[in-house]
Amino acid sequence: MAKTSMNPSRRRFMKGAVAAGGAATFAAGYSDPLLKMAKGVTGSAGEKPEHRIHGNSLAPEYRVDPESGELTLNPDQRVAFTVCYGCTTKCGVRVRVDNESDQVLRVAGNPYHPLSADEQLPMRTPVAEALRGLSAYGDQGQQNRSTACARGNAMMAQIDSPFRVTHCLKRVGGRGGREWQKVPFEQVIEEICEGGDLFGEGHVDGLRAIHDLDTPVDPESPEYGPKANQLMVMEATDYGRSALLKRFAFNAFGTRNYGHHGSYCGLAFRMGSGAVMNDMGGFAHVKPDIQNARFIMYIGSAPSQAGNPFKRQGRLIAQARAAGTLEYVIVDPGLNAAASHADDHNRWVPIRPGTDSALAMALIQWLLDNEGYARAFLALPGQAAADAAGEATHSNATHLVIDTPEHPRRGRFLHASDLGQAEAGSDADLPMVVAEGELVASDAVMAAELFVDREVELADGKNVRVKSSMTLLREAAHEHSLADYAEQCGIPRATIVELARRYASHGRRAVVNCHGGMMSGNGFYAAFGVQMLNLLAGNHNRKGGSAEGGGQFNGVGQGPRYDLANFPGKRGPQGVFLSRSRFPYEKSSEYQRKVAAGENPYPARAPWRSLAPPTLTEHLPSALDGYPYPIKAVIGCMANPIYGQAGLEKMVADKLKDPKRLGLFVAVDGFLNETNRYADYIVPDSVMYEVWGFTGAWKGNLGRMTTACWPVVEPRQQKTAEGEPVSMESFFIATAKRLGLPGFGDGAIPDADGNLHPLNRAEDFFLRAAANVAMQGEPLPAADEGDITHAGLAPLMPRLERTLKPEERGPVAYLYARGGRFEDFQDHFEGENLTSAWKRTLCVYNEQVGTSINTQTGEPNRGVPCHGLPPLADGRAMREVFTEEEWPLLAFSFKSNLMNSYAIGLERLRMIKPYNPVMMHHRDAERFGISHGDTIRIESPGGSVVALALVGEGVMPGALGIEHGYGHRDLGATPHLIDGESQPDLEWLRAGININDLGFKDPTRRVDGTWLEPISGAAVRQGLPIRVTRLEA
Amino acid sequence: MDPIRRTLLGQLARLSAGAAMVPLSSIASAGINQQPPRREGDPSKRYGMLIDLRQCIGCQACTVSCHIENAAPLGSFRTTVSQYEVEHQESGEVATFMLPRLCNHCENPPCVPVCPVEATFQRQDGIVVVDSDRCVGCAYCVNACPYDARFINERTQTADKCTFCAHRLEAGLLPACVESCVGGARIIGDMRDPESQISRMISEHRDALMVLQPEKNTLPQVFYLGMDERFVTRPDAEPVALEVLDPHGQEMGYEFRH
Repeated sequence: MAKTSMNPSRRRFMKGAVAAGGAATFAAGYSDPLLKMAKGVTGSAGEKPEHRIHGNSLAPEYRVDPESGELTLNPDQRVAFTVCYGCTTKCGVRVRVDNESDQVLRVAGNPYHPLSADEQLPMRTPVAEALRGLSAYGDQGQQNRSTACARGNAMMAQIDSPFRVTHCLKRVGGRGGREWQKVPFEQVIEEICEGGDLFGEGHVDGLRAIHDLDTPVDPESPEYGPKANQLMVMEATDYGRSALLKRFAFNAFGTRNYGHHGSYCGLAFRMGSGAVMNDMGGFAHVKPDIQNARFIMYIGSAPSQAGNPFKRQGRLIAQARAAGTLEYVIVDPGLNAAASHADDHNRWVPIRPGTDSALAMALIQWLLDNEGYARAFLALPGQAAADAAGEATHSNATHLVIDTPEHPRRGRFLHASDLGQAEAGSDADLPMVVAEGELVASDAVMAAELFVDREVELADGKNVRVKSSMTLLREAAHEHSLADYAEQCGIPRATIVELARRYASHGRRAVVNCHGGMMSGNGFYAAFGVQMLNLLAGNHNRKGGSAEGGGQFNGVGQGPRYDLANFPGKRGPQGVFLSRSRFPYEKSSEYQRKVAAGENPYPARAPWRSLAPPTLTEHLPSALDGYPYPIKAVIGCMANPIYGQAGLEKMVADKLKDPKRLGLFVAVDGFLNETNRYADYIVPDSVMYEVWGFTGAWKGNLGRMTTACWPVVEPRQQKTAEGEPVSMESFFIATAKRLGLPGFGDGAIPDADGNLHPLNRAEDFFLRAAANVAMQGEPLPAADEGDITHAGLAPLMPRLERTLKPEERGPVAYLYARGGRFEDFQDHFEGENLTSAWKRTLCVYNEQVGTSINTQTGEPNRGVPCHGLPPLADGRAMREVFTEEEWPLLAFSFKSNLMNSYAIGLERLRMIKPYNPVMMHHRDAERFGISHGDTIRIESPGGSVVALALVGEGVMPGALGIEHGYGHRDLGATPHLIDGESQPDLEWLRAGININDLGFKDPTRRVDGTWLEPISGAAVRQGLPIRVTRLEA
Repeated sequence: MDPIRRTLLGQLARLSAGAAMVPLSSIASAGINQQPPRREGDPSKRYGMLIDLRQCIGCQACTVSCHIENAAPLGSFRTTVSQYEVEHQESGEVATFMLPRLCNHCENPPCVPVCPVEATFQRQDGIVVVDSDRCVGCAYCVNACPYDARFINERTQTADKCTFCAHRLEAGLLPACVESCVGGARIIGDMRDPESQISRMISEHRDALMVLQPEKNTLPQVFYLGMDERFVTRPDAEPVALEVLDPHGQEMGYEFRH
């Protein structure tokens, strides 16, 4: 594969009609065969294929007789159901495996699985019938498909990737040097548990020394918790295995510090959603009911380009296009696959990155001013009124908020107790509303006034001003004019008005959806505002509205067969997260000390975010800087924050290399990525199709579902002395056992009768979870022989027998034979309402948000959505510090429908899209003297990269679009040396750029941190200030 | 589709899609034009494909699943989806257009008569195939195909192309691309069976169906629904993804170029 020098004419692209994907077209077929024309002999000089017509095509996995439908399995292959790790959708897939070689041949969708199938089969369907249903017999397989996407198809190459780590490694030389030696698993466990002078760099505390649950990590700040918190555990996301990781971290070891990728994925969106849905703990969110909706605005989310669940949304939007039932709009800085030219009922509306709050507030303003909201629904003051109106829930639109700044209850809802009408906190202490001009408790009337602004005398005789939630929202929406909002977000005022009008005209079948586009400097309020549009439409729990989803069958809790949530000696973590989240700064010793010393307690040394979950974005940099306290060890499982968090690598790489700042870094992973490159030890892990676990759906599916995965092929990595594959599970089990921690080893899992069972291997945990899933509610029946054969369960059955009780084996086999447990496909609506409705009071005003304080400015946060310019940590607008004159463009990222953050090694994806040229509007190109196809330098306050400009109309002027997944430095992009032997050097894996290399350190912070969204702590990657210059060839 | 955008070429495209349906029952194995007689395959069937572009989401699942199923060399494609950025002629609005491409299994396949060794032939079920025992890799057929649907397989040194996954159809299964079509755009079937899904869809949408390059008179049997007629000719766009830069801005070429 020699480098090809590029013909200069290749650089002349067609303007306006550019292949932007799947672009390595058939034309490749033309290259050199003409040379062979003179050969003049019959037959080929090449390898002889298996079959004269079918070439080397795979042998079919089974045959179906076209007349009778009779199914005959291919005895050389098996089909088994498990989960795909190609993205966080976690689709259920069917995997074809060659019995002799144990190689995966190809992957498609599991027909029982709601995220893969058009209409998933009922659980009662025998597996043989399910397989027949996928065939050409009676066109069944194309009338009801079950698919895997391109990445889902390509992912199988991970298993035998030349970059896969299959042996335990210990670093040679300094951290990050990409040089390793193989060491036995047992040595890794011993060294990390016992510590010592492990690298000739001085003493390192092992986990045994760190595991101190009695001594405070900081005696001056006892609220920080014990020294055991100096172990931090991080993972990519829950691929169905987190329960065991958390069991170790929280409940056996007892550390507080755990983090996952959420804070650099979509956290700002999730928190904005949580604010509307009154769930600042779980950050519930909704997805549109695409099948029944009439109008959807996708704002920073693109079904069929990205989004979660990827295939399900893509399929539903495709069907809706063909059926003509839906009109939709894609609001995004970049054109994407969702805006389809093959149909006229959709359009793309470009927006300036990071200004979604302006659009949201403009739409809200118009809807409020033109009565374009669900007036009757919003006027429902309480559940009694909702019940009477046949609604699943109600909102706090009419509830009154105390709005007198100096009053101690500012920002709180006015309750009956404030007026002396009930005991505080009692059942009767209801929020107050105004009906027919009178103050009344919210359960006393069936409708209340939406817009209230008046003085009220409290029981203590003081007068306060109260405003209804709707009044506060209207005030926030009117802080700018429509023209201002239009100017800010770059969408013409007329377009905004037209969108609002269309939205209002579809009533409760108008929906909005947002996701990763909200990862901007004002992302929380943007998402809060966008999701408020759903509330104003009154579409929650409604047919054609937005739905929370059906949830999971939980196997890892207190199940009907086993208690996997509790065990003898279980501990609960104590103290403050490294990220200082979910803990009010005002309760910290730091605050108290400052107040006692007569100082202004604000700003805190670094942001404390009482509303946010633990965020990896703050964990790592804060820990390395020792605030609020230093750490001693990190265990990372598939986590790669250095690639994923804008600006992180430059800020922490040198600190990560310093063993004095971090004593021990263990990574459990099948691959060497940009983060675990800095590890001291690598523990190889199983990759998808080799793992155990249980996953759910990311909303978007209305039925209850749990996907089951099991090792459908044998893990390729080394085994422990006990003969188990080395993996995340065996690592935590061995570590816990060596440290003598509870919850692992013999006598660790109580069954329903209180008898204890061992946890010595992964299946001890996951098969018992399977029994809980299979036997909760109405237990699943037992699998029959046909199911076991057709679902390739032969390798699983002996494990069931050695682990489970006889009565559990049949139902558990039935579960695995279908790849999980899924509520049957059905109509989830009763009339216009969803049967599994979201019941909490929906929030026009969120009291928790409205009473929280920004610890950097000391200002209270707004409890209603509002527009603001993206700020830095100290509250100054980013544009004040990084001016438009100096940094004239804003970079944004978008998800690739092919590549993900860990897929660059998959050659079947690289062959379709080997590179990510950046999207630039022709007006900007002209402005900066750049032509289509030019090589350009992109600079930001934090970094500089070289890219290829794709100039066209498919991007907002002033914005520069970067597809995510390229620009790797590891995962194969730079070879590592293992026992003196180099990994392959494939320069192609280094192609392209990563937007996160353009992230930067927030210059207004005192403890190092990248630019983070203030409320959520989410990494800002939408709207990074940049400038571009053309590079001379 | 906006009727104003329909052009003469569009009319041609629709006409030939319809015309192709007329002689189906009478064609059987009789040679037409300079086509040699059809051989092998099931004479009672005529396979075709309908692609509903409104349902194509451009995900490339077909591309990758086909590539795996048929062991194509890296960088060679039996099917793929081209993605275009297009501007609406009146409103100026920009949208994406997806064009899944594969062998059209033409009723009058120009690749067949040019084969000097009769390795490329059309089966009686309409599927155009290559007999690799005979193929000399001369690439006449590669050049004769106006749809770029063929390539010389670098490993076998023979002509390679979509077979509608004949090995799977014969086993009563669906082609890989159809089976994995996330949006449900691809429909395959026997067009001689009036009850088949494809026959029913063809009769329902007959007036809206188009084929690629109808003026070539190849009578393609891959029909597109929701087609912009500007795309029935080979769109004049460069494959940008062939430009690959390393982190220093140096051109790297295309990794899988043969």
